Amino acid sequence: MSNKLEAYLEEIGHFLSGREEREEVLSEIRSHILEKTERESGGTADEALDRVIAAYGPARKVAEKYLDGRPIIAPAYKRHLFRYTSIVFAWHAILTAAAVIFKEDFIVFPFLFIPRLGVMEALMYLPTAFLADLGIVALILYFVTQRGKEVKLPWPRFGVDLDEVKTPSRSFWSRIGTAIGAVIMIGVTAFAVFLFARHQTIFFTNLDFTRARPLFTLEAGRLISLIVIAMFAASTVSLVVKLFTRSRWVDAVSNVVSLALIGLLLRQPYDNLFTVAIPERLLPKIKFGLKFVLLFVALLVTLDLIKNIVIIARRKLARRDR
Amino acid sequence: MTETEIGSLETEMNRGFLHILVLALLEKDMYGYAMAKHIEGLGYNVEENTLYPLLRRLEKNGWITSKWELGEDRPRKFYAVTSAGRVLRAGLLDIWKNQNRILDEINKENADVQ
Repeated sequence: MSNKLEAYLEEIGHFLSGREEREEVLSEIRSHILEKTERESGGTADEALDRVIAAYGPARKVAEKYLDGRPIIAPAYKRHLFRYTSIVFAWHAILTAAAVIFKEDFIVFPFLFIPRLGVMEALMYLPTAFLADLGIVALILYFVTQRGKEVKLPWPRFGVDLDEVKTPSRSFWSRIGTAIGAVIMIGVTAFAVFLFARHQTIFFTNLDFTRARPLFTLEAGRLISLIVIAMFAASTVSLVVKLFTRSRWVDAVSNVVSLALIGLLLRQPYDNLFTVAIPERLLPKIKFGLKFVLLFVALLVTLDLIKNIVIIARRKLARRDR
Repeated sequence: MTETEIGSLETEMNRGFLHILVLALLEKDMYGYAMAKHIEGLGYNVEENTLYPLLRRLEKNGWITSKWELGEDRPRKFYAVTSAGRVLRAGLLDIWKNQNRILDEINKENADVQ
């Protein structure tokens, strides 16, 4: 008997493993292939056998026809996957921010473990948390689907409706708004670059630029200014690109760039920061306030990023199901 | 409409038809290869990798039975329709005839309009 036929049957059997009818199915396919080869080519020569096996179809597809077609997650629950993940992740993100601010662990075994984190660790932790949340929600929906019973899952509503999978129509006035925003941002970025070229900083304690007094010390001011200019530039590019495309990818990429820049800002030690004298007892509070504001902005950008990714994924699904 | 789209709709339409066809054929005991050849001889083509899983599903539901027989040089699995299968076939045929009648009437209506 041909090794090719046995290898083919073994491959089909691999996909059918665990099913009680496996051996009988394989015997029937073997019998069919051998008979067809013999009757239609007058022998079991390897070439003829290859042709018959090829005509029977790829092993995985053959096996799939014996498996019941129940999906991993029922199509009706696909939208729940994204909505529930958004809710779980929002809580996860809030608790992560709390873990950073209050320097506490949060443990609800086995569902939640947020160790005491620094700011950078928190930013690294959030994408992992998102994947874990997606996995948990997918697992629950998998069990609901496999149970096969009619289950009416709750459908919480948000102010921002992520169900909107259609690309929003761009009116003339919204384009004008984007164009005005782009022009303003080009002006702001250009002015910031001009200030930086002249003074090596864009932060001052007075508004008289002929006798400008920098707010920050030279090194810190230079670095923070460059990061903020990069943020302005990223927003400008995003607005200009949005004049020509309605893709959510533009927003998602802009979110990622902003997060990276906020991360860079958060990494700064903020020691010897100010040129003006600050009372010693106020410094820790100022540092805490700065980090809190940056972390809050990072949280908002992260949520916006998640929203954009969800909308992109939902649009892809909607296109595929059409 | 592309050939792929027609092919995909044809596959959907074939599902019900294949049930009736197999249940009708199995008034006589037959094995898979012989069924496929017989159907082919009638001018219709059923893929082997569709026929065997269909036979298995029909058997699981008790609409056909099977037995292995050692004929000539190799074992073959012969199938036959059961009484439950005959009831199912009659029901499916009624549905199919009614669908044909509806389509005929609509075609006549369309012809009158034109």
